[in-house]
Amino acid sequence: MNSAEIDQRVVHMISQLCTVRPIQPKDRLREDLGLDSVCSMELLSMLAEEFEVDISLEEAMAVTTVGGAIDMTRRHIENGAH
Amino acid sequence: MALAGRTAEESQLLGALRDGVMRLAHVEIRPRQIDSEGHIPGSVLSALAEMGAFGLSIPEEHGGAGFSLQGVCSAVATLAEVDRSVATTIGLHLGLGTRGLIAYGSESLRAKHLPELAAGRKIAAFAATEAGAGSDLAAIATRAIEVAPGRLRIDGTKIYVTNGGLAHVFTIAAATPMLGGARRGHSLILLEKTDAGLEATGEEHKLGLRGSSTTCLHLEGVEVPADRIIGEAGRGMEQLHQVLAWGRTAMAAGCCGAARIALQLTAAHVATRRQFGRPLAAFEVVRGQLADMAALVFAMEALVEHTCAAESDAPLLAARSRAAKIFCSEADWEVCDLAVQLHGGAGFIEETGLPLLLRDARITRIFEGANDVLLVSHGAAEAAAPTVLRTTLGERIAQHRDELRARLGVRLMTRQRLLHRLGRLLVLREAVEAAALRAEAIGTEEARALALHFAQLASSRAAPLFAEPVAGIDAISLALTEPR
Repeated sequence: MNSAEIDQRVVHMISQLCTVRPIQPKDRLREDLGLDSVCSMELLSMLAEEFEVDISLEEAMAVTTVGGAIDMTRRHIENGAH
Repeated sequence: MALAGRTAEESQLLGALRDGVMRLAHVEIRPRQIDSEGHIPGSVLSALAEMGAFGLSIPEEHGGAGFSLQGVCSAVATLAEVDRSVATTIGLHLGLGTRGLIAYGSESLRAKHLPELAAGRKIAAFAATEAGAGSDLAAIATRAIEVAPGRLRIDGTKIYVTNGGLAHVFTIAAATPMLGGARRGHSLILLEKTDAGLEATGEEHKLGLRGSSTTCLHLEGVEVPADRIIGEAGRGMEQLHQVLAWGRTAMAAGCCGAARIALQLTAAHVATRRQFGRPLAAFEVVRGQLADMAALVFAMEALVEHTCAAESDAPLLAARSRAAKIFCSEADWEVCDLAVQLHGGAGFIEETGLPLLLRDARITRIFEGANDVLLVSHGAAEAAAPTVLRTTLGERIAQHRDELRARLGVRLMTRQRLLHRLGRLLVLREAVEAAALRAEAIGTEEARALALHFAQLASSRAAPLFAEPVAGIDAISLALTEPR
């Protein structure tokens, strides 16, 4: 899976949780997309399931933007592939 | 042992209010009439306004009594001992209805509305829920758009608006995209009954709380100045959670008042009703159930007091108010249900007042955040940011929480049944701690016995919650819910 495909799938999953369009990497999960802290954590949990990667709660807590979620997902997929 | 005020002055004023409410209860408040006619007589609301009940939470400089959350809770509990519809009408006014305006409103908004609200000449309502946004408040579709500099246009429909048919002032939650800089920001906005395009219609016919008004609120092209925004534009969701923390605590206090009456009625009944040649209270099973009821009421009041003690610590108040709302609403239902049971056939007859207590209690597990949603949120909040959990039960829960975190990582956040159970464990622990603290503060043998009995009850209820939820639910629910 290349980076563009990962980005697209992450954005698609976020789009299922909120109504804001378009979704951009700089968007803040809470302020711009309206995802509260529990909803944001649910999103990251869904990403972990979708991409079959293990993400700790501490790492997930640090993610605040769409770009952050994409970066975290990419990083785990790349690490898993090595 | 009912709820007290936070200060001696508050307790004194509460004593006077209690005397006045009880006098009124003897001559004018008729719960079954209120229930059957579906409204509270104007004379009752006027008398309560005369006593200052509508101004208890409103700052003194605006004509109110400036009570703490604890004082407000004590008053709401007293009102709920008399009639739950009355307690809900006033509790909503004191909590969700005016809290946003008091805590975040501009000085001009406060000066314009609070004196009238304190005097009871105006009544407040709060409108957040919509057809597509119940527990999921982020899905609010009511929008306020800036149509000209300093002018907002608001469109949307709110449902289940408590006090809707009585209110002169509404605090509504609306999406305010781009206001305050956030693309998906929300704001709290104050609307007046006289605003063109605002209409409260359709009194709901309910299972309980029938004397409390519940309507829809239609907002069609309502244009108001932007200074009607309460507090900072775009920060409404944050404010909403703070307002809800007050509202949930006051609601939990109402549960305490109703449960205490159910307990008193039941204690009197089992002491006098005789079967098999003995009073019911002579039977061990009855005594055990009565002890459970008394311990639950003690823990409910303790948890409300414990929550009120966190009034000045917003995050702590948010967490404790969630626990208090869940615990008190469930315990209220359990106590009222046991009251019906211990009254035997008489408990099923309206004239005893017990069916009304039970019906009125049911909604508290749903409104101001459905308990199951709050339990998942409560568990998720603890899983995401662990806290120190005191007491023996707390240590066991902490170990369980840490095992879940280590095993599942972020995936724990979508394991709703695990989070729901963790949430319930946390609520029980909070109630055990609160009951122990209250017993220590009261210092009597009776209080210690109640706290101990509750701790044993909570421990027996916690034990199964540490186990993994049973598997196999997906196949069953899919078979039931998938289109054939």
